[in-house]
Amino acid sequence: MVTKTEETQLNRLENQVDNGGGGAWEYLCLVKKLKVRRPDKVLRHGLSILNDPKKRSALGPDVWTLYEQVSIAAMDCQCLDVAKDCIKVLQKQFPESKRVGRLEGILLEAKGLWAEAEKAYSSLLEDNPLDPVLHKRRVAIAKAQGNFPTAIEWLNKYLETFMADHDAWRELAEIYVSLQMYKQAAFCYEELILSQPTVPLYHLAYADVLYTLGGVDNILLAKKYYASTIDLTGGKNTKALFGICLCSSAIAQLTKGRNKEDKESPELQSLAAAALEKDYKQRAPAKLLLLTSALKSLKTS
Amino acid sequence: MVSQLYDKTLSFRTPFTPNQKPHKQKRKKSKSSTHRHRHRYRASMAEDLVLDTAIRDWVLIPLSVVMVLIGILRYFVSKLMRSSQVPDPKIVKEGQVIVRARNLRAGANFISPKSFRARRVYFCNEENGLLHVPKGQAQNAQAQMFSDPNMAMDMMKKNLSMIIPQTLTFAWVNFFFSGFVAAKIPFPLTQRFRSMLQNGIDLSTVDVSYVSSRSWYFLNLFGLRGLFSLILGEENATDDTQRMMQMSGFGFDPSKSLGAEKDSLDIIQHEWALPKFEQRAETVLKDLVG
Repeated sequence: MVTKTEETQLNRLENQVDNGGGGAWEYLCLVKKLKVRRPDKVLRHGLSILNDPKKRSALGPDVWTLYEQVSIAAMDCQCLDVAKDCIKVLQKQFPESKRVGRLEGILLEAKGLWAEAEKAYSSLLEDNPLDPVLHKRRVAIAKAQGNFPTAIEWLNKYLETFMADHDAWRELAEIYVSLQMYKQAAFCYEELILSQPTVPLYHLAYADVLYTLGGVDNILLAKKYYASTIDLTGGKNTKALFGICLCSSAIAQLTKGRNKEDKESPELQSLAAAALEKDYKQRAPAKLLLLTSALKSLKTS
Repeated sequence: MVSQLYDKTLSFRTPFTPNQKPHKQKRKKSKSSTHRHRHRYRASMAEDLVLDTAIRDWVLIPLSVVMVLIGILRYFVSKLMRSSQVPDPKIVKEGQVIVRARNLRAGANFISPKSFRARRVYFCNEENGLLHVPKGQAQNAQAQMFSDPNMAMDMMKKNLSMIIPQTLTFAWVNFFFSGFVAAKIPFPLTQRFRSMLQNGIDLSTVDVSYVSSRSWYFLNLFGLRGLFSLILGEENATDDTQRMMQMSGFGFDPSKSLGAEKDSLDIIQHEWALPKFEQRAETVLKDLVG
């Protein structure tokens, strides 16, 4: 995750470079370090550096990493000729390189030639079976083709070896959710919460999945996780507030007959509703009526 | 401080008085006998040797310079000779397992008891748990390491690049720079260090603080690490002592840490932290609304 200081620095550099000030190279380095995705800007500023032979020689040996970065950005923007030129330059310089082979594979992917790309990756993987990027590109191919079961299978195999890679767990969770395999998705989210317990996103997603699964226990659990999200975000997360209201009303519905005394936090629902109303009053007063009627129907149902 | 030592007459007891006698002296007796009263019981301590400035110019500084240059040379040679190491899949997997087990320990209180227990069984199960290392395998690791030709070659290469320059420099220092006092250590030492630090000096009455150039060599050997990390960046091949420590613990490393993780996982008590969160959310919202 990008920290706040880095984010402000990135924005500042971006503004500076966009408005014609210098510092394109620092901007590109920062983008690369933080692994953010800004293909159009990278492409524009990267090409401005590469097409100027003076600036190119000023970079020294870093010019090759710049070529790599620009070629990936070009493929992201679908400027495939630019990408091809960059890769050709890199190939001339580093003939038998694994990294250049990887770039060629990505180019095949960008052109949509899935079979060739897969063949290229498999042959590269034979030589170095432990390259995480290659594994992930294979999964990306399967996903782009819409072949989710294969993607899941390969991602699982990848995670058997690299089980501490939380990005991969996140990807797997999203694929499971899109395929409605909620139990497995819940497991993946638990992994994410274990590795990064202070990120409210994962708590929220986990709570959503639990609520979707249904059943009293799951909804109780979901309510707890919505509460933890509220705690982690200081009450500002609208989705969590709604989640609390929905959970409480669902619990009340499901346990209508039985006398459950699980009111460990009886005021939570009313507080959440009040917070929601306050928020709407501030930000979207036009929809306030909708909100109050929805909340009323929740309470009475 | 060191330069003051090598200036002209410098008394040990009053380091900041300006010097009086301009010409060089090899040995100087302190003038007032009253001063020596206090120190008579330690007669050897009372003499201060004044050392020739030539020693500083021609021994200490060239030795340091030579060691820095050799270190830089070794860095570049190691870069050239470094073969790309194919990471062993088993070791990678074990590393990741350890990280995941550690995460489980750290975040155990954030997931429900059922899932925590399920994961704990997955890791610590007696038959096929991930962290369980059967007894036979633990010994194998080191034996395997030495029998694997590639890894043995790599280790030998690294060893050689470390040992040969060290040995050569040490022999050079011993040959050329022995037999005289090279430096004075600013703090007093016991007599035990005499054999180690004063190897070329055959006078037994000289204070142990006066050392030969061999000790300057060792001082440089360990002290220049900081300088190298400044000049050459973090990863440099001159981190000898660190590497030596790493290698001695290498063979047992994976299985030991797995066992350690398993034990700590077994110990952990699960304290379900989520119910507390509901109360905390309540207070947060109360502040927000009210």
